[in-house]
Amino acid sequence: MTRSDLSPYATVMDDRQLTGRPIVRKGAGPYGGDLEVPEPLVTGAKKWADVDRDICMHAEQFPTKRWWWAFAVALSFLSLLVFAMITLFYTGMGIAGVNQPVGWGSFIINFVFWIGIGHAGTLISAVLYLFRQQWRTGINRAAEAMTLFAVACAGLYPILHLGRPWFAYWLVPYPNARGPLWINFNSPLAWDIFAISTYGLVSLAFWYLGLLPDLATVRDRATHPWRKAIYNALSLGWNGSHRAWRHYESVYMVLAALATPLVFSVHTIVSFDFATSVIPGWHTTIFPPYFVIGAIFSGFAMVITLMTFMRGYFGMKHYITLNHMEYMAKILMLTGMLVGFAYSTEFFMAWYSGSEWEGFVFRNRAFGPYWWAYAIMFTCNAIVPQVFWVKALRRNTWVLFIVSILVNIGMWFERYVIVVTSLHRDYLPSSWGMYALTRWDYAFLFGTFGLFFTLFLLFVRFLPVVAIAEVKGVMDPKVARGGPAAGAVPAAPALQEA
Amino acid sequence: MTPISTHGILGEFYEPDDALAAAAKVHAAGWTHFDFLTPFPIHGMEEAMGQTRSWIPWVTLALAAGGILFAQGLQNYVMVWDWPMNFGGKPFASWPAFVPITFEVMVFWAALGSALVAIVAGKRDTVPQPPPMLVRTGATVDRFVLWISATDPKWQADEARRFVQSLGAGDVRIVDLDGGAHA
Repeated sequence: MTRSDLSPYATVMDDRQLTGRPIVRKGAGPYGGDLEVPEPLVTGAKKWADVDRDICMHAEQFPTKRWWWAFAVALSFLSLLVFAMITLFYTGMGIAGVNQPVGWGSFIINFVFWIGIGHAGTLISAVLYLFRQQWRTGINRAAEAMTLFAVACAGLYPILHLGRPWFAYWLVPYPNARGPLWINFNSPLAWDIFAISTYGLVSLAFWYLGLLPDLATVRDRATHPWRKAIYNALSLGWNGSHRAWRHYESVYMVLAALATPLVFSVHTIVSFDFATSVIPGWHTTIFPPYFVIGAIFSGFAMVITLMTFMRGYFGMKHYITLNHMEYMAKILMLTGMLVGFAYSTEFFMAWYSGSEWEGFVFRNRAFGPYWWAYAIMFTCNAIVPQVFWVKALRRNTWVLFIVSILVNIGMWFERYVIVVTSLHRDYLPSSWGMYALTRWDYAFLFGTFGLFFTLFLLFVRFLPVVAIAEVKGVMDPKVARGGPAAGAVPAAPALQEA
Repeated sequence: MTPISTHGILGEFYEPDDALAAAAKVHAAGWTHFDFLTPFPIHGMEEAMGQTRSWIPWVTLALAAGGILFAQGLQNYVMVWDWPMNFGGKPFASWPAFVPITFEVMVFWAALGSALVAIVAGKRDTVPQPPPMLVRTGATVDRFVLWISATDPKWQADEARRFVQSLGAGDVRIVDLDGGAHA
């Protein structure tokens, strides 16, 4: 019995034939028992050459009208961001809604929101790689790109929030003529600089390393000499040499092993911005795991949103199958329940600690003037993902899409609740106040979505959106092979025992 | 030493298992300046080609240690020696506060340094490769291409061709110095 007899790879043509369950072969196991074969990760009996064509196609043809429309919308929101930034630099922080007592407003909310979204990409590429989850190959490239763009959006906000953003370089410790005046290494805000910049650059290195073989594929398909030269330079002259693959695979593993704790450290350090303060509702030890799990939750929601588009608009259904979507739905439900558990634990601890201030803050969160934000947060994050207990709903892309949007909204409101409700009523009732977003806050919020989608649309226009080399590695060679039909060339004799 | 008029020889395989078997035979036959150009990494190819494990993790270890030393050195220098400040009576050398940055700098050095070293190693720690962009190999599409360089001490064009053909390779081509290829 050959491998292709066992593997259903050649027969599964599209999503309708996938069940999300292993295929059972009666009596095919090594001792006469049943053998469970996983469903193929790529459908349509694709050949390796088909993968190149299907995935590079979008980078090779003139963009469709649909792409131009999407790009035009994204670009107009990006120009809104640029306009808002110019106004902010010209006028000052007064245009934003922050004031006493809510000194951290939408900028910090958006910062935490985008950093959270940026967590799924590295989680998919690094953690799932270490756990040998082969389904990651279909989605890791786009998810890593999403990470980079989300980190770019996030990185803007602390700088904008400085008030005098032209002095942003003062945050970097370097020998200077101001004393030398150093940053305070005890401050979580200084830790943030290191965490975010390390995360951004390591994610970039990871993404670029993964791109190298695929850039070479694009180069080898290119016909125009300039295009060939540009992609050759970008691929660093990659030719598929196994003496290069040897180091490549090693460093990919090393980066995955380094990026895994890095993912957890980044949102942990972001949570320290809050947890090391003495504000009730912030000063809690649950914050690091609570933030990390929320980040993974929101990141996977954004990945589902984007993958739905890639399946529908870019025809990636053979590479991002319903099974991939179901795996992500399961992760979304698990992390959603963990987030809900964290919300409940916070309430329990507020009561159990016996602290008057903690108790008040949490009563105020759920039943105070911002009860609606808390209700949106709790409904979208803890209740809505529960629909994924039903398999049919996990495999329904419309349900997935709507839930992912709701989770994105819910996670934005989670940060709203954390930032605003803790600040607006602290120890002194005489200093209580309310917070509202101004029109400029909205311009920044929607403007960064413009930046994010502009970058993402450029990415799908110029780079392979699925990791070609990795997808080829999970396909069945008997079916996917090129060249003369198997058997036409005398097969190499079997490997001799050493 | 005889003058070298050719770059080497190419022969292609169509399945990873055939490529693995061929690599083991090339290695067993005593060739050293050979390589396999493949669209994706093949599990077990290092052993078949007679290579050892990549030394990249040692670079990572050294860089990680360097990153830890640098971050600890910088923070202690600044906070204890160059610019000591009293924050609520806490010790100047408050090591728990230095942990996050130490970790981040360690990852930064180790990850980016290893990536750079691996990219350079892919070019340097290798055998002479077929001329880039001149020889169409299909090695980024669906071909598993055996390459034996003419710099190999065993090199004899006719013998190499016979040997590669005996492995069952398809489309065996000798690559000339100008980048052209012929059977």
